[in-house]
Amino acid sequence: MSRPPHAPPSPPAASDAALPAPDPAVPVPVRALPLWANPRLGLLVLLVILVVVFSSLRSEFLNTSLTLEPMQADLSVTVVVGLAQLSVLSLGHMNLAVGRIAAVSAFAMGWAYDKLSVPLPVGLLIGLAVGALVGAAAGWTIQATGVNSFVVTLALDFGLVGLVSLLYSGVGDGVAFHVHPAGMDSLRNDTFSDYCTGSVCGPPVPLIVPIALVAALAVGLLFRYARLGREILMTGSGLKAAELSGIPTARRVVQAHSLSGLLAALAGFLLAINNGAFSADIGSQFLLPSFLGPVLGGTLLAGGAVSVIGTVLGAAITEVIQTGLTLLQFQVEKLKIFIGLVLLAALSLDRVRHVVAERRGGGA
Amino acid sequence: MRSSLTRRTLALSAGLLALAVAAAGCAKKSDTHSAAGHGLSAAKVGVALVPGGPHPYFQPWKPTLQKAKTDFGLGQVTFNETSGWDQTTQNSVLKSLAAHGYNAFGVFGVSPDNINSTFSDLKRQGFHVASLGSCPAGSTDEADFCLSTDVEQAAYKAAKAAIAAMGGHGKLVHLTGNKTDSNTARREAGVAKAVAETGGKVTLVQTVTDIDTDLQTAQKAVADLLAAKGSAIGGIVNTAYNPAVASAAAVKKAGLPIKVVAIDDDPTILADIKDGSVTASVVQNPVGQAYVGSYVLMKLAGGCTMRTPGLTVDSGSFVVTSANVGTYDNDRQAKTAQLKKDFDGSYLSCAA
Repeated sequence: MSRPPHAPPSPPAASDAALPAPDPAVPVPVRALPLWANPRLGLLVLLVILVVVFSSLRSEFLNTSLTLEPMQADLSVTVVVGLAQLSVLSLGHMNLAVGRIAAVSAFAMGWAYDKLSVPLPVGLLIGLAVGALVGAAAGWTIQATGVNSFVVTLALDFGLVGLVSLLYSGVGDGVAFHVHPAGMDSLRNDTFSDYCTGSVCGPPVPLIVPIALVAALAVGLLFRYARLGREILMTGSGLKAAELSGIPTARRVVQAHSLSGLLAALAGFLLAINNGAFSADIGSQFLLPSFLGPVLGGTLLAGGAVSVIGTVLGAAITEVIQTGLTLLQFQVEKLKIFIGLVLLAALSLDRVRHVVAERRGGGA
Repeated sequence: MRSSLTRRTLALSAGLLALAVAAAGCAKKSDTHSAAGHGLSAAKVGVALVPGGPHPYFQPWKPTLQKAKTDFGLGQVTFNETSGWDQTTQNSVLKSLAAHGYNAFGVFGVSPDNINSTFSDLKRQGFHVASLGSCPAGSTDEADFCLSTDVEQAAYKAAKAAIAAMGGHGKLVHLTGNKTDSNTARREAGVAKAVAETGGKVTLVQTVTDIDTDLQTAQKAVADLLAAKGSAIGGIVNTAYNPAVASAAAVKKAGLPIKVVAIDDDPTILADIKDGSVTASVVQNPVGQAYVGSYVLMKLAGGCTMRTPGLTVDSGSFVVTSANVGTYDNDRQAKTAQLKKDFDGSYLSCAA
């Protein structure tokens, strides 16, 4: 997916090229690519190939309780982390503090459960509010000072590392809250197959998966259809053009960063559920996966175009490669090399397919 | 159009949530999973030792595990250090090993605060779990048992050795690992206890954390420390591997009269003890952890039970100075033999 070259004002790219463009204001691309050239379809095919390859090499890859269910639970976290980054990539910004925003929100949630004994959804709302506020503060700083988002969120990340440490040692129980509010263990351990009506049980899908699905759906619809999302994309596509079109760009920057903070907080919540404790190290491994999913999925680092389905597929491919190679029992040094190689090969194939498609489209 | 789309969004979101709620409203199946292994012969026991990530401390686990396989006739064994110090990765590594047919796990948890959840997951599925080298944070242990260095006691011993070398007075610095690891808090408590016992004659001027990630980080931190306070410091107590190697080398190079107490028995540290540039080192017992841990896991899979589930056992720590640098391993081997005896005689309950 690429940003149409027409300007000004530069039109926002569709959040997913796979979906029909309903807005008559969006110019139709000069030449349409064939269906097989759709990047999302390419990623889906790649995902299927990887699953087939790994499951034929190792039948354990299809073990429900030991492979498929944990993989879905982990994927829920990486998808939401990817969405958090995608929210600011839409502006052409970065959020290097996704992990620490998740950590500080997880602290707020853990504190609320431990000290205020609030129910699970209430604590989640408190954490989401904290994440959204911290994100909004980053967005406000960026638009008020004009400093690059890379610098602002890097500084925020450093600041929050210290803050999280201080908060846990000052208020918390050392470095974590071990409280388990009602429902947390079910959310962590159960799948829909544990719940039955008569003899009909649900699919082997962990209970936390729908939370990530709702987040992906909401973000996808926001950028695809809602005016707010389209205006954020236009701001990312061309700031001046967006301003001249009457879009309150400063407010859109704050809102996009606030959404990023909120999603980072949600990812922190999901990881805390998966890991079983609200601890200071939540989010410490978020940064790389936060870029990997969206970038693999076709979201532009330059802003103005996002792909939610691509992010979900990109995260799924990463997860499948990681799980597959772990099952093949690679040694630690080789594992990293192979993850890099498989990712590189996957992306190169995708690129080749795209270039071939464009050439054929050009020749048509 | 916008409002109808908003309605669609809400309807779809509500639909998914309703699905979740509806599922939650259904009758829940019994939570028991099939037991992976009880009453198994040694040949059917697969032991996997899973450290938190690559670290020199765990290297003795590898040959020891092979020795345990031969000595006890275990079916299959593996040493997997691919967790990369990430709890989520470690969880998937453990699950993938279980999928491979391993049924007994010796785990050094990446995060002591989260590892109990991992242990209860594995136990729920009928596997046997030992917490090796590090116990979960807090007072409960969901693993069958924990065989680990008592880190507070080891840090206390190290600080006492440093204070004695300093002549009982002066300024002490503590170099250690990850601040968000609850073991670090225990180590700090051990050092603080030893310092408090001096009645103010020794002051702890600084505790430097988060410098055990790699040797370079530790070297930089030590160089900064010596540049700022080198002449004022009387002793450095290390409770993590990389700072120990870095501070021993830096103090030796600078020629400062600082008494350094290290940790573990890296060859460079043992050489430094012999030439006097390192006063002492507190050595742990990774061999004992892997050997006795594998043995007890085999016994548990064979039908024995822990008399006290989740029992914490100290695998031992030994102060090595120039006086015993040649002979300390005998003490360690004796401790390992004693640990095996203790499990057989006191901690395990096996049907005749």
